[in-house]
Amino acid sequence: MAEPLRILTAVPICDGHDSAISTINLEFIRHGLEVVYLGYHRSARDIVRAAIQEGVRAIGISSYNGGHIEFFSEVIALLKAHRASHIGVFGGGGGTITKADAAKMQHQGVDRIFFAGTPLSELTAFVKERYGKRRHATLRRIAVDSMRGRAASAARVIGITGPGGAGKTTLIDELVLRLLKARSEAQIAIISHDPSIVGKGALLGDRATMIYSQDDRVFMRSLATRGRAGGLSSETARWLRAMKSGRFDLVFVETVGIGQEALPFRRGLVDKSIFVTGPDYGSRLQLQKIAMLDAADIVVVNKGDLAGAATAVSEIEQRLAVNRRGQRVVSTVARRHRDPGVDRLFEEVSA
Amino acid sequence: MSTLGRVCESVEGHARFVADQVRRARQDAAFRAELLERWKAIRESIGTVRTPTGLELPALALPPIDEPGEIARILFGEGLPGEFPFTNGIYREMYRQDGGGSGHRAQEEPTRLFAGLGLAEDTNERFHYLTRHQRSIRLSTAFDGPTLYGLDSDADGVFGKIGEGGVAIDTVEDMERLFARFPLGGERLSASMTINGPAPIILAMYVAAARRRFGAKVVSKLRGTIQADILKEVQAQNEIIFPLEASLRFLGDMVEYTTAHLPRWYPISISGYHIAEAGATPVQQAAYTLSNGFTYVELFRQRGLDVDRFGPRLSFFLDCGLDLEYLALARVCRKIWAIALRDVFGAGERAQRFRLHMQTSGRSLIAQDFKNNLTRTAVELLLAYINATNSCHSNSADEPFTTPGEEYVRLAAHAQSILLEETGLFRHMTNLLGGSPGMQAVEQAVEHAILEEFRALDRLGGVLAAVDVRYQRAQIQAAAHRYEQQIADGTRPIIGLNRYTDPGEKMIEPKVIRTPRRQKQHQIDRLRAFKHRHAAKAGPALDALARTVESGGNVFAELIKTVEHCSLGQITGRLFEVVGRFRPSV
Repeated sequence: MAEPLRILTAVPICDGHDSAISTINLEFIRHGLEVVYLGYHRSARDIVRAAIQEGVRAIGISSYNGGHIEFFSEVIALLKAHRASHIGVFGGGGGTITKADAAKMQHQGVDRIFFAGTPLSELTAFVKERYGKRRHATLRRIAVDSMRGRAASAARVIGITGPGGAGKTTLIDELVLRLLKARSEAQIAIISHDPSIVGKGALLGDRATMIYSQDDRVFMRSLATRGRAGGLSSETARWLRAMKSGRFDLVFVETVGIGQEALPFRRGLVDKSIFVTGPDYGSRLQLQKIAMLDAADIVVVNKGDLAGAATAVSEIEQRLAVNRRGQRVVSTVARRHRDPGVDRLFEEVSA
Repeated sequence: MSTLGRVCESVEGHARFVADQVRRARQDAAFRAELLERWKAIRESIGTVRTPTGLELPALALPPIDEPGEIARILFGEGLPGEFPFTNGIYREMYRQDGGGSGHRAQEEPTRLFAGLGLAEDTNERFHYLTRHQRSIRLSTAFDGPTLYGLDSDADGVFGKIGEGGVAIDTVEDMERLFARFPLGGERLSASMTINGPAPIILAMYVAAARRRFGAKVVSKLRGTIQADILKEVQAQNEIIFPLEASLRFLGDMVEYTTAHLPRWYPISISGYHIAEAGATPVQQAAYTLSNGFTYVELFRQRGLDVDRFGPRLSFFLDCGLDLEYLALARVCRKIWAIALRDVFGAGERAQRFRLHMQTSGRSLIAQDFKNNLTRTAVELLLAYINATNSCHSNSADEPFTTPGEEYVRLAAHAQSILLEETGLFRHMTNLLGGSPGMQAVEQAVEHAILEEFRALDRLGGVLAAVDVRYQRAQIQAAAHRYEQQIADGTRPIIGLNRYTDPGEKMIEPKVIRTPRRQKQHQIDRLRAFKHRHAAKAGPALDALARTVESGGNVFAELIKTVEHCSLGQITGRLFEVVGRFRPSV
């Protein structure tokens, strides 16, 4: 089966108009595209870096706040500077981009500007037609090339898993912030996963909620599971190998949200595994059923500010005690800035 | 039970109270006599007005009833204009220009004209142009993207955005330029600033700029509004820069300060406009805006502020579109707000009044056959004034393309003058259409739906808990999606777009105002010069600010000092280190 078409969408810096792009993302996904969504208020630098790392075939930019001529031309120039001009650029901005602006932008290298009133079907048809035929191998090679460099030692791989909504992505972003600050040379890679069905589209949206991981010292690849069960993608191992031989000190692998029975990291895949859960796992009996509680090196009870968090920590500690493996339990509030729990987790991860 | 649960109970409790009064009026002879006497006295107190064609009419329209139960329902259930629960309006005289009306509108265009373009000097010039014939000077400021996101004009990657869609403000000196030659603190001047994420820093710059020009005594005289509605940013507009908790703390500090030191300032404009523009239905707009308002009241009270002091300084800002609900949306909002403020928060009458600014819908305007937008805006204006809004902004027909040009700004302003001054609809009588059967039916349905939405929020644990699980956002997005689908399948007719399209139409390219490169560079140069001049003092000022944040002091009071030496971007940069950045959710 042909690989799905991957594109990246974003809203420019100082622009929060994400209503149109949200609708367009849904339409793209419905038509089988994999959309890496970077979110709003994103710089040209962030967009181009992400596009190269993600190996997308095109970038779609939705701009409603003015300054589009400069912004799109900055994106085109940066793609050129990174020898990634094969990545297409298209966009729109309702009525804010005039015909004259569009002509100028298309002259500068933008493939197409869509105007207000364009049917979604026309937009989707354009993207499929225009970008559907490019070769994947080139895109992958360029992404892999951007990982080159020498790490001080072999990269350590941290696997992070847990049920959906537990806060895995936020935790990774907070750990990245700490590592970037603590070690000025640190280089980090992240593989994140989102679920998808064979031959269907997917929204790869983890980047949109990550603030600190959009950095030249961070390489991130978002993978759709494309029907594979277990929380990872069939490409995960391959990317992990490439990352290990790249410039990185630390690699995070984030699974999709998993169920009680899942054990996503097969032996040897990761050096350390973290199971993240909220305090809302249900009754104590439910804990007995979670397979990852036996496999994880560290168990994180995130949302430690919620009622029941202290109970959850002690129940999990008791549950782990019988394993006699020295598993650690850390309580965090990942969404809180400078959370001491995340600081402790960072020490555990760095240890 | 969360606050919203109690709000629902209070509204239902009030309905029961009204039903009781209706029953009493019909059954209790003494009460009935008292009521009929009161009704008669009210009727007699109403003066008459004469139309230009010589017709004599009552200045206040009352239904022609003498049935005691019905009289009770009107007096207790909706209240006369200016009376609890203010369904018909928060003042007795609304837009009347003869007789008891304030009459000031006849001399000026009754509009707040939104301006903001290029550098501070350009907007200042525009302000002077717009207000040259006005007795009251109302300066309504739009800011450019970098300012809205708390970034300096020299920040990486923002060059193209400098001065686009609004004015570029980096420093207190820019703020001085923005309001140059205006008597800040003057009785007839009010400034309004549409900014949210960095609102406390921008207001601190305004206060500092006013002090620089007029001395410390001017502070207590400053009049105006700053939007500063951070909850709707998380739910809809995405211009929040600090984490919600920190944003609410900075806001609370600002409100505490303005309540004590700027008693004539409106420190927050609780806005449904952006919620509606992001795609919310009218009911969602009303429900989320009101519930955000209750959340602020609760938060400010928790920090010890007196609802009777800050309550009268809260104001609201709603969208007025073309959906039928808009016939009565503001009427229902006023009623719910008044009942809740009285019965849930124990507020006095001034805080019970729902002070409302409306704006015609930007989303309803389209690029195709764009002159049709004049008609759309005119109908929306009519709806807004039927709702007894306290003020209204009418959009320019060319807004789908650009910052409005002078021609269409003028047409939009004159649409209001035509409605309020030329037509007889509002200038002779108050309460022209209030209480009509159709309006009552809409009112009841809207009220019911708003309370349902409150209950949904309540079940999630209240507004903040609902924000946490992205509830409002998801609901708004779903509504936006339905709206698009309805346009696509034609069930929502849009003339010129999915009906009666002009096959030969060429899109008219209106004139677009852009800020030239050299202007943008000029802004960067003078920002850098400011930073250079204040290099020695900026560091200590930022340290002091950080200490205030950490120690729990009033951040706004400190910001008034910080802005003397630091730029907007320097300040937000330091605050990001201390409190973190806002993390968006998808």
